[in-house]
Amino acid sequence: MAVKPGGYAVLEAVQNEMRNDPHMTMLYEYQRPIAVSPMGQVIDLYKEFGEPRIPDWGPIDEEWFVGGAAGIAMTGVRAIAHVPSMCSLRCFELVFNQVGKLRHMTGGQVGMPLVIWQDAAGRMPGMAGQHADAGQEALYAAIPGIKVVVPSNPYDAKGLMTAALRDADPVIFFHYSAIDTVQTDVPDESYEVKIGEAAIRQEGSDITIVGFGPAAIEISRAAPMLKDAGISAEIIDPRTLKPLPVDALVASVKKTGRLLVVDHGHETLGTAAEIIASVAIGVPGAKVARSTFPDAPPPGAKEMITWMTPDADKIVQAAKVMMG
Amino acid sequence: MLEEVGAGPMPEAGEASAEKHAGVSRRSFLRGLGAATAATAVVSHVAVARAGNGWSIGLDGIPPEKLKQMYTLMLKSRWWEEGMKEVFLGGKDNMYGAFHISVGEEASSVGVMAALNEDDYIASNHRGHSHLIAKGGDIDKMSAELMFKETGYNKGFGGSMHITDASRGILGMNGIIGPQYLFAAGAAYSAKVRGTQQVAVAFGGDGSVNNGWYYSGLRNAALYKLPVIAVVENNGYQISMPQQRTNSLINLHDFGAGLEIPHEAVNGMDVMAVYTVAQRAVERARAGGGPTLIETKTYRYYDHAGLAGAKPGVLGAFGLPYRSDSEVRAWIAEDPIPRMRRQLVANSIITEEEADATEAEVKQLVAASIDAARAAAHPKQDAALGHVFANALVKPSQFIA
Repeated sequence: MAVKPGGYAVLEAVQNEMRNDPHMTMLYEYQRPIAVSPMGQVIDLYKEFGEPRIPDWGPIDEEWFVGGAAGIAMTGVRAIAHVPSMCSLRCFELVFNQVGKLRHMTGGQVGMPLVIWQDAAGRMPGMAGQHADAGQEALYAAIPGIKVVVPSNPYDAKGLMTAALRDADPVIFFHYSAIDTVQTDVPDESYEVKIGEAAIRQEGSDITIVGFGPAAIEISRAAPMLKDAGISAEIIDPRTLKPLPVDALVASVKKTGRLLVVDHGHETLGTAAEIIASVAIGVPGAKVARSTFPDAPPPGAKEMITWMTPDADKIVQAAKVMMG
Repeated sequence: MLEEVGAGPMPEAGEASAEKHAGVSRRSFLRGLGAATAATAVVSHVAVARAGNGWSIGLDGIPPEKLKQMYTLMLKSRWWEEGMKEVFLGGKDNMYGAFHISVGEEASSVGVMAALNEDDYIASNHRGHSHLIAKGGDIDKMSAELMFKETGYNKGFGGSMHITDASRGILGMNGIIGPQYLFAAGAAYSAKVRGTQQVAVAFGGDGSVNNGWYYSGLRNAALYKLPVIAVVENNGYQISMPQQRTNSLINLHDFGAGLEIPHEAVNGMDVMAVYTVAQRAVERARAGGGPTLIETKTYRYYDHAGLAGAKPGVLGAFGLPYRSDSEVRAWIAEDPIPRMRRQLVANSIITEEEADATEAEVKQLVAASIDAARAAAHPKQDAALGHVFANALVKPSQFIA
């Protein structure tokens, strides 16, 4: 047990599952799957497993990672497609029309033990336009037949990756780089964070605040400020967007009567919209609101993108509005 | 039921009868020809190795049982599709959904599949009925699937365009153009990981080479030296657009040169030629030599989809706006099935009577499969919520609880 960076924690999960499954294969782009723990331990999947399970090189070809890995998975061999953050939608068509549909379309004949390890940029100042995105998980969650998880810290990242690699269905694992430096103890041994299970980070009675991935980090930063403002917030991280753990959210809002959803994705048809719809149906009369990144692409200048991104201050402000 | 399946003669039957009426029986004529050919057929190994690429070749070295099986599979594919065509045209079975006929392309399917083992993979496309049948697919389950019955291959979830038989390495027909090349490369990658000798074949038409997945599948197969065979069945039309207007290449296989992978074209109306070329590719793939790109020059006797220009009992669709009827007749004159029959009879592999009996038997099987499909149950409505995930049902969100 020690504090470990997210990338290392995820590789621990992949390493363990690859040790237990002699055929599991990972296709990736340019970053060799290597990580170093703060104690200097090195995980080097290429060195340990070698070709062809971990190829020595990978072309810039998202269609290949996902389409090729889907072909591998269709033969019953578990596959991981590690996709870099800048083109998270390039393989969207393959996920939509193939990965998510084949089991159903074939009457249950074709299994798809596939994990798409999707790196995600997040709202980073200076990257501008195409390299500072968030929210694409909502697009994937709209696709039937796949599961979508978005960890917000290294502990959940390792546990969710382990669960994804043991799941019979295709899972997209959105890995925002902001989570890598969140301080959580990560056990050395293997464990699962169950897919579809929310985490109640803090109990409270005035308002339920829901967020995942980078938004969950901002909510946890807001927690002491909310307390100072005299607001008793119940903080929930759904961790899985599909299947969305609706019951836990509904149970909480039944108690608090208020729901604030924080999302670094865009407003229109984003994950926040889905969470609000599900909870509003389950808790008639609940007061609901969302704080999202506006329906605009991310600009490069720090002043603009920081102002646009829902952060701890804006969350406190929103909670105050809802309490008023 | 039998009369519903191919009630009319195939046009090539006219060709055969013309020979009969010429004074010498077709059988004895071809036997004489076969003997003459055998007497002069002293060919070097080099010539044999090169044969098949557009050249007619003999049957030497191929067990008679295999030849008969190939012939039967072509007949099965032909008459199953002709049988289903009659069902669609008959109008009594309330047929609906997609129907892409591969009639005319049977030699391409059977020639390639004859070079494969049972556990090899194929990734097929929308025009894949003949791929399935050639790979050993069960026509009973295919007929039922075209009627969206519970007993169909896909239990009514797929229909004609998506038939899959995972148990036979058939990764599925697919309604989208292009993923076949990625799936075959992935399946071949899996074979490499598992250390098996399996190969994977991708089938696509001349239209399938026009998007990036083709390039990606071939390029990565070449990069990782994967046991992949890409078969481009060039039937001349991307839907109704002539191939010359969709691609700057006339010989689509030339694309392989840029990737430095072996590539060749073959007469897709000659099953033995296709078989020879496919065997070469399969041997190379199993030996670790990487992928091969094969272009089979073939023809689609019917329209892209559906039955425009098709009539009961008549082989081929005529009067279509994008091609001439004489072009269709020219290709039907090259039909691979009578061609193989002539070869088998001339070489005394089968007699004319045996060939007739085989054809009758195949038609009987097709008719029985259609009858069984008619009698089979429709799927339960709420079965639709299953098979989305391995172990969970989807919520019936169309109703308010």
